[in-house]
Amino acid sequence: MKYVDEFRDPALGEVLAGEILSLVEPGRHYKFMEVCGGHTHSIYKYGIDDLLPANVELVHGPGCPVCVIPMGRVDDAIALAHEPDVIFTCFGDMLRVPGSSGTLLDAKAEGADIRMVYSPLDALRIAKVNPERPVIFFAIGFETTAPSTALTLRRAKTEGVPNFFCMCNHVTIVPPLRALLDSPDLRLDGFIGPGHVSTVVGVRPFEFIPREYGKPIAVAGFEPLDVLHAIHMILTQLKQGRCEAENQYARVVPWEGNPRALQIMSEVFELRPHFEWRGMGFISQSGLKLSEAYADMDAEIQYSVPGIRIADPKACQCGEVLKGVIKPWECKVFGSGCTPEHPIGTCMVSSEGACAAYYNYGRFAREREVV
Amino acid sequence: MKRLIADAASALTPACDYTTGCITCGDVAIPLNVVRVDDERGLALCADDDGNSETVETDLVAPVAPGDRLLVHAGTAIARLDEEEAHA
Repeated sequence: MKYVDEFRDPALGEVLAGEILSLVEPGRHYKFMEVCGGHTHSIYKYGIDDLLPANVELVHGPGCPVCVIPMGRVDDAIALAHEPDVIFTCFGDMLRVPGSSGTLLDAKAEGADIRMVYSPLDALRIAKVNPERPVIFFAIGFETTAPSTALTLRRAKTEGVPNFFCMCNHVTIVPPLRALLDSPDLRLDGFIGPGHVSTVVGVRPFEFIPREYGKPIAVAGFEPLDVLHAIHMILTQLKQGRCEAENQYARVVPWEGNPRALQIMSEVFELRPHFEWRGMGFISQSGLKLSEAYADMDAEIQYSVPGIRIADPKACQCGEVLKGVIKPWECKVFGSGCTPEHPIGTCMVSSEGACAAYYNYGRFAREREVV
Repeated sequence: MKRLIADAASALTPACDYTTGCITCGDVAIPLNVVRVDDERGLALCADDDGNSETVETDLVAPVAPGDRLLVHAGTAIARLDEEEAHA
């Protein structure tokens, strides 16, 4: 497939791996964070870890929107799904995220009408064919997904679909990165920047990382050669004593982002003063809610949601995993109490979650390390 | 794929295929080809290389024409893939 196959060429991968080896200084330990869950997935799926020198370590960032959702928001979603006549729609991964007393899938088993959709547009279609019933779309995701929700809300408004509502859980990428960089227990040498978020916001919002924190960043695509190339770019910067924001994914990502996407987002959303992140607590200006012009479609305004804050389960160490402080397999319940079939923490739920990715692809590599 | 999703009963099936990842919840986007365009509504019917099709919002990358290759995330085209080819 064009734009895919050429970025999976094993021979080129070997060449890049060789060059990476020549760039690292023996005796120095390099720790890079891949911000995005999609990169975590690629790294394990293609065994990129195995191609890197032993002193280059990749740690996982907070870039899976499902993984960062706190339990209280899941409880709020379940409460909305139980409202009379409501059809509750959400992406597949969300169905299995545990709240304090079960998942949306459990709520469905109890009789709530909960339907999985692949896009906000699918949810709008459900609203159109069920005009007598309120349809709530559970919106989640970083800036990649937020324009999709925004376009659908504008479409619902212009096409006159009064029974379409949105529970907005969209988050923004820069505030949690800043929180991470301010965290004292984290030592990082560079960042692999999120590729598809950057198609929307561009590379410019990440320039603060080299400027204010002195860490290089390369925004990267998701094919194995993209990730290797990004690591190569970061190591080259370190070797040459440079510290910049670079764009490895220039075939898709414009430096300034997509102005139309940014415009529709600013029309439909506004920043919440603060939003709770799983394992990271409240981060100011890190979440989006519907703007006043769209308040009549805001499920949190049109319905009463409990809004109770629930502490994360004690055994779960998703917070440390999300901050890259521990590896997934270092969590007490990884692979024993917490598996993709029976997740305790969110990182094990979504396929983009670090724990699920590690469970599915990385555990064999770890076994090799242990031996 | 879409027909399955449209069936409410399918929502009972575990949501994600762990081998390929969830295309919507992560930062994942897939390349699709434009088959037919509805300019008035800002939508296009797009298909992947296996022939699976879906309706896509095209506002962010408009105008589009049949044959264009788009990067699609959660039912919305977030970038064009044909520009690189045009510049090549």
